[in-house]
Amino acid sequence: MKKILQPAFLNIITVILFGWALITLFNTNEQFAKIMENPEPPWEITINMIPILTFFVICIPIAIYLLVISKKKHKNLWKALMLPPELEEADEREQLITANACRSSYIAMWYAVPIAAGLMSFYPLLKGQIPYYPIIILLLIPIVQMISYFYSIQKQQ
Amino acid sequence: MLLQNRVKELRARFNLTQEMLAVKVGVTRQTIAAIEKGSYTPSLLLGIKICEVFQVKVEEVFQVKVEEVFWVNEEEGER
Repeated sequence: MKKILQPAFLNIITVILFGWALITLFNTNEQFAKIMENPEPPWEITINMIPILTFFVICIPIAIYLLVISKKKHKNLWKALMLPPELEEADEREQLITANACRSSYIAMWYAVPIAAGLMSFYPLLKGQIPYYPIIILLLIPIVQMISYFYSIQKQQ
Repeated sequence: MLLQNRVKELRARFNLTQEMLAVKVGVTRQTIAAIEKGSYTPSLLLGIKICEVFQVKVEEVFQVKVEEVFWVNEEEGER
């Protein structure tokens, strides 16, 4: 609970880099879909490896670091792997703080998801300019969730 | 209603640091600090554990403070 901003920052960076890598994958699949319309050779696909490599280069150390922190708290490796490190509860007060943060996060989702669904309805209008628009909208949801969670924890301390 | 406590006073009397008391009752030091500050109301179990450390009754450590309420008699205008 002491260093709550650090995992928050690392998690948000991970989601942003994941989104960047997914956009590259989306562009690749778009090219592949065009090829599938007319599979006669010759054809080629261009993949921008920078976002994918950046994701792995930055996120693997982040994941290892968060796993090491998590392993210190949870002796069980399965729990350390599966539970987010921010869900640390050393005693009943921290359980209460986490419970309140989860509540805030749930309320944030209550609003964020319908708004995201509403924003998705603009996809046909933005399809030409931002074809990967759904990826951005979908990844905004966990970012909103994390911000509300960490903000609530920060406020309670 | 507020739950007041004498944890800080008793801890000083027993020469215990927040960390020592926290270890004895199985919580973090921050929780003891929050209890002393009054920003966290401990569970019944934790309250009893704290009382066991100081070997006193629960009511000697924790007291409920009822906020004073003034009833106004509208007809007579009395307080």
